[in-house]
Amino acid sequence: MVSASAYVPAIVLLPFVSFIVALFGRENLPKRGAYGGIAATAGSLLLSLWVLVSVRNGAAFQETYYTWATGAGAQDWTLTFGALIDPLSVLMLVIVSLVAMLVHIFSLGYMNDEDERDLPRYYAGLGLFTASMLGFVIADNLLMAFMFFELVGLCSYLLIGFHFREPGPPSAAKKAFLVTRFGDYFFLVGVVAVFTTFGTAAFAGAESFPALAEAALNGEATVWTPGGLEVSTWFTIVGLLILGGVIGKSAQFPLHTWLPDAMEGPTPVSALIHAATMVAAGVYLVARMYGFYVLSPTTMAIIAFVGGFTALFAATMGVVKRELKQVLAYSTISQYGYMMLALGSGGYVAAVFHLTTHAFFKALLFLGAGSVIIAMHHNEDMWDMGGLKDKLPVTYWTFLAGSLALAGIFPFAGFWSKDEILYEALIHGLDEPLILGAYVMGLLAVPVTAFYTFRMVFLTFHGEPRSSLARDPHPVRWNVKGPLSVLGILAVVTGGINLVPVQKVLNIEGIDYLHLWLDNHWGGIEGLSSHHYAELDPYSSQYLFGGEVPTVLAGAAASLGLAIGGLALAWVLYNVADPDEHTDKLGGLKELLYNNYYQDEFQVWVADNTQSVAGGADTFDQGVIDGVVNGVSSVSLLSSERIRRIQSGVVSNYALLLTLGLTTLLVVFGLIGGWF
Amino acid sequence: MILEALLAVTFAAALLVFAAPDEYAPKLAFGLSLLPIAGSLYLWSAFESGGNALTGGEIAFNTVVPWLEVAGYQLQWYVGLDGISLPLVILTTFLTSLAIVSAWTPIDERQSQFYGLMLLMEANLIGVFTALDFFLWFVFWEAVLVPMYFLIGIWGGPRRKYAAIKFFVYTNIASLVMFIGFMMLVIGLPVNSFGLPEITQSLAAGELGNFFWLPADTLALVAFAAMFIGFAVKVPVVPVHTWLPDAHVEAPTPVSVMLAGVLLKMGTYALLRFNYTMLPEQAQYFAVPIAIIAVVSVIYGAMLALAQEDLKRIVAYSSVSSMGYVLLGLVAFTEFGLGGATFQMIAHGLISGLMFMAVGVIYNATHTRLVGDMSGLADRMPIAVWILVAGAFAYMGLPLMAGFAGEFFIFVGSFGSTVLPYAPVFTAVAMFGIVIVAGYLLRAMQGTLFGPFNLETDYELDRAPIHDVAPLVALLAAIIVLGVVPSLFFDMIRDATVPLLELLGGGAP
Repeated sequence: MVSASAYVPAIVLLPFVSFIVALFGRENLPKRGAYGGIAATAGSLLLSLWVLVSVRNGAAFQETYYTWATGAGAQDWTLTFGALIDPLSVLMLVIVSLVAMLVHIFSLGYMNDEDERDLPRYYAGLGLFTASMLGFVIADNLLMAFMFFELVGLCSYLLIGFHFREPGPPSAAKKAFLVTRFGDYFFLVGVVAVFTTFGTAAFAGAESFPALAEAALNGEATVWTPGGLEVSTWFTIVGLLILGGVIGKSAQFPLHTWLPDAMEGPTPVSALIHAATMVAAGVYLVARMYGFYVLSPTTMAIIAFVGGFTALFAATMGVVKRELKQVLAYSTISQYGYMMLALGSGGYVAAVFHLTTHAFFKALLFLGAGSVIIAMHHNEDMWDMGGLKDKLPVTYWTFLAGSLALAGIFPFAGFWSKDEILYEALIHGLDEPLILGAYVMGLLAVPVTAFYTFRMVFLTFHGEPRSSLARDPHPVRWNVKGPLSVLGILAVVTGGINLVPVQKVLNIEGIDYLHLWLDNHWGGIEGLSSHHYAELDPYSSQYLFGGEVPTVLAGAAASLGLAIGGLALAWVLYNVADPDEHTDKLGGLKELLYNNYYQDEFQVWVADNTQSVAGGADTFDQGVIDGVVNGVSSVSLLSSERIRRIQSGVVSNYALLLTLGLTTLLVVFGLIGGWF
Repeated sequence: MILEALLAVTFAAALLVFAAPDEYAPKLAFGLSLLPIAGSLYLWSAFESGGNALTGGEIAFNTVVPWLEVAGYQLQWYVGLDGISLPLVILTTFLTSLAIVSAWTPIDERQSQFYGLMLLMEANLIGVFTALDFFLWFVFWEAVLVPMYFLIGIWGGPRRKYAAIKFFVYTNIASLVMFIGFMMLVIGLPVNSFGLPEITQSLAAGELGNFFWLPADTLALVAFAAMFIGFAVKVPVVPVHTWLPDAHVEAPTPVSVMLAGVLLKMGTYALLRFNYTMLPEQAQYFAVPIAIIAVVSVIYGAMLALAQEDLKRIVAYSSVSSMGYVLLGLVAFTEFGLGGATFQMIAHGLISGLMFMAVGVIYNATHTRLVGDMSGLADRMPIAVWILVAGAFAYMGLPLMAGFAGEFFIFVGSFGSTVLPYAPVFTAVAMFGIVIVAGYLLRAMQGTLFGPFNLETDYELDRAPIHDVAPLVALLAAIIVLGVVPSLFFDMIRDATVPLLELLGGGAP
């Protein structure tokens, strides 16, 4: 049998080919590009599954495919492209290609059936988006990861701004690219720092930067640091620099503001961005180079704290939104906060677990929202909906499954993963107060999440229709119901891949498949296992009530209890025939939440001020720097009036002026250089 | 003799086009400009990488013919190539042909003179990048200014006279300062020719003596500073940059393409060839002030671009910013720093050429370049607009396009430089330019290309003609190819820049 490794590049190239085909094929393509995209992503999915099986059989590998550039001498660094196929990356490959395929199919209903313009451009964008993300996932070094990370950013720009003829989408696209670019600036400084420090940016192997960093901390290797900085301090700085990119792409506080605006993109694109591509990229990057992050307790604590805070902060804003997709946007920010909380508190497996379950239930919720939006003729205001339950049964039941998963209700997928995150944060937090603080914020976000989720469900599907659109919705077809059904099933059952609490409480061995999988139980790459990370991380575990099992039960009871509490409150307030906007009673607080704590105003203020600084610089440039040139020129013009028989015209005035200017510069230069 | 043939063919082409009737000049000029391209591609295929031409490495395609003797100095016809100059020759021939095609729409009077001057400028530019004797080089260097002066002064916008004179005098005075500095250096050396390799090797051997009362150490510093100032105007860097936006705004599109694409590279090429090859120790001495100039050029240039409302001014100021990166790479004086700086010259040449051409295509159709005068152009001229978007992302340093390769090489090279104190701080501050560039280009694109269609000027907008779009496509293709396979040029550049480090024993950790 041919080894799967030979086909790994094809996983990335297939969607790229669909991009090229859609770009040049234009309107002549079958379904205007959709079928090509579906075929390509289906091919990627099949190949990914094949590689998954081969990794299960112990065929994890790292291979360099292409050398992009080589240095020389002291900077003898090779900049390469290669694949790192291990349990983590192959799992992500399957998630990305599956969600991408379903999004393509759904787009047939959302875009083609609605007779949107420029569809080849849309499918070209989707293809490039998928290819970029897949390339990012297989990256075997930080530079390659950065490159595809940026391409993901480009694609989000193109797709969020797809409806470029309206004023909103181009503005949202600009904001998304600019805010994430701000984060990527720090990431790029981090990449440069990694090369300078370690001479390599490889993720895996004895000569990889996490391994070298570990050796340097143990005194077994020496690395470059700027100005003789302490190694551990420098690693913390480098880790935080790279984290800048993560915070931007994964929409963590304070760079989360682009994500709600990104709802201007077509809904299937939102599903792709939120579930499997752009936003997932940040968290995946931390997991990918987790061996480096665990070496710095400070960075870990910051990751956990940012995550916990974002989880709570974003959830509160989700409570008051009127539009279906806005609620989901804030839920995404909040859920990625949970993943960061997990990573920062040493819960590597928990984070990957939540990344997986969230990918399925969030894709489901967005596509469900898309289905509702088709039905509502593109009205997204939940206060115009109501009573859609009976008219859209498939959408309703799948959306309900996704909502139960998001709210963390037993036994849906989200319950298991969120519970494990909180459990990890708790047992490590009992030893480390900062982590405990992050845990408390994560726990407080649980009832808020359940509340806003079911406020959304009840307002959309229950009660009486509140508008004529809701009374007579547009029907949806198989291409909408199909993807919803697949994801609906996954949202229910995905928790089964990692039944840790059941294992612990009932003492059944071997049902924590994801733990075994990420621990290289079936083979993997040396140094990239959850065990290895656990040995390195700065935490030790403490238990409540004297043991593991009581802690598991208490943690689960707390989070489930709070989730049910939030759900119950939403039930009481909103599951009525004609609900009121109860959040109005919050008064000024509602205003604050509805306006996102005036975060966006702050960023607009920053942008405006940058613009005025630029204006000032321009005035300075025209007035002072060029003014000196022109001013002295006119002075000498006067004098040249008198001596015009010797000198003629403007040329010589400039000559005089410039000689003077340059002599001055030379003197200044000499003074700076200090050789007078 | 192949370099002589290349120069001769280009000069002959210029003369032929001057003599041709106006109606045939555009196509004839384009056809003839393919010959230098063929020549440079032949050079590329026959080229074998072998070190730096000045420090004693292999000099490809070289010819040395004694010319005349002046005051005890032998002037020579001395040309040759190495891994630094060959990519620039290729860039020059490639960009000139495309600029000629982009002139077909906007240039509608005195065509034979226009295209003749373009080819004349190309010939002189090839001369600048191939000459290895100082006097020969200086003749070409000055001769480039003449066609440029007329190209701006005759076919330019309303303030063309002002801009042309400002450009001419500013850069000419700079040349004078540089010339004096270099001459002082030569007089202090026991050489009897102006051959750049001889001078470099004599300096490297520590043979610099006194210049009248000036001791050798001070002489070297003065010469370095004088040459730096002379070349800095050409680059240009802040604060001697103000001629650039005026020249760009007044120049017609194809002339802007040549100005930003090739002429600015004369400055950085000369900095690399003279300051950083001949006087590396003095370069180290001045590292901090020059790094400050580089960082200020990057950030201040980008801020100025952010303030502009004229698309062409935006692109013009962004050149100041991008060339600041080149200076940072030079001052870092490491393998990736010097190599990246040279690579960035090529990358920026292609990308700024693309941006000026794309803005030109829009101007041809709308007759305005003001951001506030138009919106939603993507609806009417989709292909030109989407190529402009691609070019803008190349400018922002999107990976797998040439700009990212150049900038990344510079950053990764300079971060750990041992030559430059506080190198990580300088590098990190300069890198913030990648955020500002995204700010002003995205802002400009959102304002003009997207949103509901609107045009203040009264013109019918149609799809751009094919000969407007074709050069854009060619440039975009080149940008992507170099971004994906930077080693096409980077390998030879590296082989030619690494010997410089041995002069100093400098470099990274």
